[in-house]
Amino acid sequence: MRPRTLLAVAAAKAALTACHLSGRPGSSLPGRAALKIDPHIIAPLAADIRRGIIVTCGTNGKTTTNNLLCSMLEAQGYRVVSNRLGANMVEGVAAAFATAAKGPLGYLDADFACLEVDEASAARVLQDLYPDCMILTGLFRDQLDRYGEIDLTMKALEKAILEAPDMTLVINADDPLTAYLAKKSAHRIVSYGVSEKVTENVDVIREGRFCENCGAPLRYDFYHFSQLGVYCCPACGFERPQIDYDASGIRLSPQLSFDVKESGTAPVKISAPLNGFYNVYNILAVYSVLREMNLPTDRFSEILRSFRPQFGRGEVFHLGTNGGQRVLLNLAKNPAGFNQNISAMLQDRSPKDLIIVINDNAQDGRDVSWLWDVDFDRLADETIRSITVSGLRALDMQLRLKYVEIDSERAPDVEKAIDERLKDGCENLYVLVNYTALYEAHKYLEGLEK
Amino acid sequence: MNNNRGNDPYYNRYRLNIVHLYPDLLNLYGDRGNIQCMRMRCKWRGIDAQVTECNLDDHLSLASADIVLLGGGSDREQQIVCTRLQKIRQDLRDYVEDGGSLLAICGGYQLLGHYYDTADGRMEGLSLVDLYTEQGSPRLISNIVLKNESLPDALPYEIVGFENHGGRTNIGSNTPLGRVLYGHGNNGKDACEGVLYRNVIGTYLHGPLLPKNPHVCDLLLQRALYRKYGVSLTDFPALDDSLEREANRAVVSRFHSPLAP
Ligand SMILES: [Zn+2]
Repeated sequence: MRPRTLLAVAAAKAALTACHLSGRPGSSLPGRAALKIDPHIIAPLAADIRRGIIVTCGTNGKTTTNNLLCSMLEAQGYRVVSNRLGANMVEGVAAAFATAAKGPLGYLDADFACLEVDEASAARVLQDLYPDCMILTGLFRDQLDRYGEIDLTMKALEKAILEAPDMTLVINADDPLTAYLAKKSAHRIVSYGVSEKVTENVDVIREGRFCENCGAPLRYDFYHFSQLGVYCCPACGFERPQIDYDASGIRLSPQLSFDVKESGTAPVKISAPLNGFYNVYNILAVYSVLREMNLPTDRFSEILRSFRPQFGRGEVFHLGTNGGQRVLLNLAKNPAGFNQNISAMLQDRSPKDLIIVINDNAQDGRDVSWLWDVDFDRLADETIRSITVSGLRALDMQLRLKYVEIDSERAPDVEKAIDERLKDGCENLYVLVNYTALYEAHKYLEGLEK
Repeated sequence: MNNNRGNDPYYNRYRLNIVHLYPDLLNLYGDRGNIQCMRMRCKWRGIDAQVTECNLDDHLSLASADIVLLGGGSDREQQIVCTRLQKIRQDLRDYVEDGGSLLAICGGYQLLGHYYDTADGRMEGLSLVDLYTEQGSPRLISNIVLKNESLPDALPYEIVGFENHGGRTNIGSNTPLGRVLYGHGNNGKDACEGVLYRNVIGTYLHGPLLPKNPHVCDLLLQRALYRKYGVSLTDFPALDDSLEREANRAVVSRFHSPLAP
């Protein structure tokens, strides 16, 4: 290994130690330190990976999909490098590699690398990384002001994919934007999707309703949510790809279960202690990758059962003397994510309190106009006993609720909000937060649980 | 808020027809917030607000329209709308010249003018207002605060919002919506934001412009009510806008704090 790379690895490790000493997560800073010394530190370390590199992109579901994939591989005895805390810019990827390197020669002892990569960082990361598989989970309206518009996100990702060497694209074929991107490239495509109607349509925002290929309105047989569904373009013939891994017989409660159909084999039953329709896609993505890479799937449901969603992706905390206070923490950072979270929450018919925290720091997106595209009117539900809003944009959130005639309280910070509801709530608390509020909420809840 | 309007003398006597143009295409920045704001501020006053969503394939009649909202989309979607709107250009002109209220935001604002020049060519506008737009770089993305000196009968507090646009708009000698205190505005140079022409408001402040600027919302409602019924908004019950004002002040005060917004 080049001296410069070794030096960069050392710098990353020193930065990680410093982060830990000061109580920070250390998911990006070590990467920044390493990249300053060796801008291409990712390439030599990635070359050490023995079995495969899998990258996950898309605006929603990246972290859960990537973590699920890691858990699957680790449960089968593989060593995995990953950025599972969700630091998914180029710094986060560099940090994952550099801090995992071992020994005086900086060797990376791993079978697989599983990385979630932000769309804006994809081109840069793929320069130094030669993935075997890339999962595309779907493209939803996300953090508009960082990229300009969804068209720019598309362009950034498109550039990364077109320029990348041969790999297998594992795509959510129910999303026409993703399918279009994949078809435009020369990569091998493996698709997953849901070909039966599962939920009643709840939201009306349908970004990407028009054919990316010719501009004509797409024709839908039905929608799942947002622009996901079964579609085709009557004008130019662009259509939903043939589905390689098709979920059917979907049940959403009390927990997820469905069959996966794959041509030439009998359907496989999958069940998972997770909620929310969007998790069907996350699970399908992981299943498809394992099958495509000829990795075993016979223990799939068994491993899923012990999967604990991490870091605010449907993470459950049990607080109070007998663990009788249930708190569910979930990231909700754009309309598609929020609407799906609301659907999942309303499937729980027991009384509940709700806390919503909205920040507008750079990582959240400075623009909070998307709050008005979320179907918050659905929160006027008799099982929701109270709503508390907090965060830098608490007033925007409260105003949003006022305009669907829903009353809410305001709390100065998330800790105070949680304290109040633990004191007088109905022992079933949902905390929905956007990106930068997640760490704070997670840390506080984790502390309370101990 | 859930008043019983059963005995309210105003209830259903006044009706405003709000037409939301092409929400299937131009709904990139939370324009639903503007519609929802108008709808609720009518409802709370006992005014019946009817919202008609006019999609691309629908026939558009402006004869009964009181307020028209033209929102923002991505450049590609704007091009589709632009082609469609050319067919009803004269109808829109007649509506505006007759004093019809029109709120045009982002892409919709650019379409009000003569043209929008981009790297890919010229997009012909509707020429409803004497202005034009050219693509510039970088995109102008920011929280924004306007000094509200142009609105004739509105409350004197600031207009706040968020802007995100590549276009640089030149409004010539037209009246701007406001003077830029913080942010970029029409073109980042002349400290003007938006345009006022007859009962048209054009602006780059997108999405939830109206909820945090209830004075702008009420101006639209006031003008539409006056045009249709000859009545003033002050004839209706006053609303409690303390939360709206607090949200408005919060944006303004960010710019006064030593920490950058
Ligand atoms: Zn087409």
